[in-house]
Amino acid sequence: MASKRKPFEEQDLNLTPIMNLVTILIPFLIMAAQFVHLAVIDSTLPAIGPASTEPPDPNEKPPLQLSLAVTGKGIIVSGADMVLYPDGRPAFAEGEERPPTIPCKNGTCNSVEDYDWAELTAKLNLIKDEYPDNQNVILVPDNSIKYELVVRTMDAAREDPARKTEAGPRELFPFVVIAGGAK
Amino acid sequence: MATKKARRPEIDADLNINSMMDMMTIILVFLLKSYSTTDVSVAPSDDLELPFSSAAKAPEMAVNLVVEKRQIVVDGRPVLMLESKDDEDNPGQKQIVVPESELRGQSINKLFEVLLEKAENAKRLGEVNTKNPDLGFKGRILLQVDKDMPFEVLRSVMYTAGQAQFGEFKFVVYKTE
Repeated sequence: MASKRKPFEEQDLNLTPIMNLVTILIPFLIMAAQFVHLAVIDSTLPAIGPASTEPPDPNEKPPLQLSLAVTGKGIIVSGADMVLYPDGRPAFAEGEERPPTIPCKNGTCNSVEDYDWAELTAKLNLIKDEYPDNQNVILVPDNSIKYELVVRTMDAAREDPARKTEAGPRELFPFVVIAGGAK
Repeated sequence: MATKKARRPEIDADLNINSMMDMMTIILVFLLKSYSTTDVSVAPSDDLELPFSSAAKAPEMAVNLVVEKRQIVVDGRPVLMLESKDDEDNPGQKQIVVPESELRGQSINKLFEVLLEKAENAKRLGEVNTKNPDLGFKGRILLQVDKDMPFEVLRSVMYTAGQAQFGEFKFVVYKTE
C-alpha cells in the first residue's frame, strides 16, 4: 500500500477561486483607472459694482489693480507702476503703442515657451512683496491669443514654485478674473 | 488494464497558475493606485486637447461645456458648429471663429438658450430638494477648451455663460506631475 503512494505528492493550494475574483476585479479597476490627472483653475466674471463714493485717503497706499495684458508681443503688466517704475513711468508719445513690460525672448512670440515666464514671475514677486494681502489679478488677453497661453499666464500668476514656504510654493495672485477686453 | 487503474487520471491535468497569480496581484496593486472616483471625465480626441497646468484643485460636478476645434458641446450634446476662416493677421493660417450668424453682439444664441435651460432646471431642482444642498444652482460651469482655441471664441463663450447666470468658471486642465 505504501509503495503505491507517491512519495512527493504536492498538495497544491486551490487558487482557482482567487483567480476568478482577480480576473473579475481587473476589468472593473481598469474602467475606473485614471491615467491622466485632471485639475481645475477657478475664475470668475468681472464683478460690476457701484463705484466707491468715499474719497481716497491720500495717506493710504493706492490700491493695487494688477492686470496682465497678454499680447502677441509679450505681456504688459499694469496697475503696479509704483513697484515696477519707482522713478516714474517712462513717458510715451501720444498715440504711440506701449511696448510690453515683459517682451518675448528673442523678440518672437511663436510658441508658449517664447514668453519670458521667469521674468513675469520675478516681477510679480516684487509686486507681491509690496502688496502681500492682495490676491487678485485681472487677465486681459488679446483676441488671437491661444487658450494655452492664457492658462500658462494664470499658472505664472498663481504661485512661484521656486520660492518655497512652509505651506508649499509661494502664493502670488491666485484669484484670476478674465476680462473680456473691448472688441 | 491494471496499470491504467493505478494511474490517477486527474492529477496531471492541473495547470500551474501560480505565476499568473503573481502577475495579477501586481497588476491589481497598480490599478488600485490609479483608481479614481472623480466624476469629471474627459473624452480626449483630436479636436480636444486640454492644456497642461500646475493647478492642483480637484474638479467637481457642474455643467460641462466643451469647446472643441469644430464644435461646442454642452453635457454631451452638440450645440454649435464652429467655423474655420483665414486669419487676417497671419495669411495662410486658419483661425477658429464662431459663425457670424450665430452671434448677437458677443452672445452666442444657441449656446445661451441651452445654458439658460440648464440654469433654470438646476434652480427648479434646488427648490424641490431643499434638504440636499448639493443640488440646486450655484452658477458653476466646467470649461474644457482646446489649447489652440483663440481667446476671441473663449470670450464669446464666457460672455454667453455669464449671460445665462453662470459666473463661476472652472477651467479643466491636465495636471503636470
